[in-house]
Amino acid sequence: MAVKFFGQFLVERGVVSREKLLEAVELQESRNLKLGEMALDMGYVTPADIQRAHNAQLSKDMRLGDLLVSMGILTNAQLHDVITHQKNSHLYIGEALVLVNALSSAQLQQQLEAFKEDQAEYVTNGIELPDGLPNVPVLEMMADLTFKMITRVLHLQYRIGKCECVSNVKPNHMFAAMPINGDVEAAYILSVSTGLQKTIARAILHEEDVESEPAEVLEDTVMEFINVVCGNVAAKASQIGKILNIEPPQTLEEPQKGLEIPAGYQAISFPIHIGEGEQMELVIKIKA
Amino acid sequence: MKKVLVVDDSLSVARQMQKIIESSGDFVYVGHAKNGAEAIKMNHSEDPDIICMDMNMPGMDGLTALRSLVVLDKDVKVIMLTSLGGVGDKFTEAIKLGAKNVISKPFDAEGVLHVLREV
Repeated sequence: MAVKFFGQFLVERGVVSREKLLEAVELQESRNLKLGEMALDMGYVTPADIQRAHNAQLSKDMRLGDLLVSMGILTNAQLHDVITHQKNSHLYIGEALVLVNALSSAQLQQQLEAFKEDQAEYVTNGIELPDGLPNVPVLEMMADLTFKMITRVLHLQYRIGKCECVSNVKPNHMFAAMPINGDVEAAYILSVSTGLQKTIARAILHEEDVESEPAEVLEDTVMEFINVVCGNVAAKASQIGKILNIEPPQTLEEPQKGLEIPAGYQAISFPIHIGEGEQMELVIKIKA
Repeated sequence: MKKVLVVDDSLSVARQMQKIIESSGDFVYVGHAKNGAEAIKMNHSEDPDIICMDMNMPGMDGLTALRSLVVLDKDVKVIMLTSLGGVGDKFTEAIKLGAKNVISKPFDAEGVLHVLREV
């Protein structure tokens, strides 16, 4: 029911044990060299070069490869060579499971097909974004998985309005926000009206009537919904090599006043139309 | 019947889990802790057989609490309950630290009970 990685899928189905999965992960860790290790292995750098670059990383927010180039230790062509070699020699979890005798090659193929089918509903569909935004694949995932989870978790029909760049979030009953850092610095914000907050609460709590629920519980259900969406986005992003760290969800104060997007940030908004008179808006605030 | 403690900062997750556990007939719900530190205290006071614990919580997070719980109580079985289960590194880190399984959010009653009955 969620975005998964292949090893988890196999353990959940009882195809491989957790012990065998760990053995395969350990094999991967010993075989898959990090960029610095690979550059060292290929004779492009010395251990002292790597140490210098790691020291420089303490004060510069740069990836090791880019830093090695900026310090004149690697040429761009050598960096490209190292990355290509890293990709070509990467041992995938399925291959590692075959090597530790947890699966045969034929079983691996069968399970990969089953995994593809299980995860098909989470394949990102076309999302139209304004031009010039950074990290487009991750932004597309955030929007697409939000829409998919509205269907799967909230069981609602909806219509998406045009995505636009915005300088503020319109006033509404509640803003639930999830700070995201790592390869993408952003905040995921879901704005909901009173009626939709109750609709979300009914779906999350599996209750017909939520009228007597305290405000704290109603707010919590919206925060849990965005927690599920963002966790699944992090899982999906990891499949394309992007690391997203999510922090616990929070509510933003005074939603009735709206929210200005501060200088140094860009924001995109997707109006989500669900029912008459109700408003839902997905806003993604991205560090410019 | 096996006793289950739920650890999650979300009240709504605790409510869902309580409902699933109580309707199963196989397990007893012994309570809800809101973070890892409370989980360690409630493990001592309630002596659960199984702990279902979120990874991403304010205060002491789930993986930090897992490290302590497996040392403090060798009998308790910990299952991580998280929206981050699909992140390969998080899943394997939890298993390496001693979690018996990981349940991904969103979950359903059938999936939760299947995992609880297996541990």
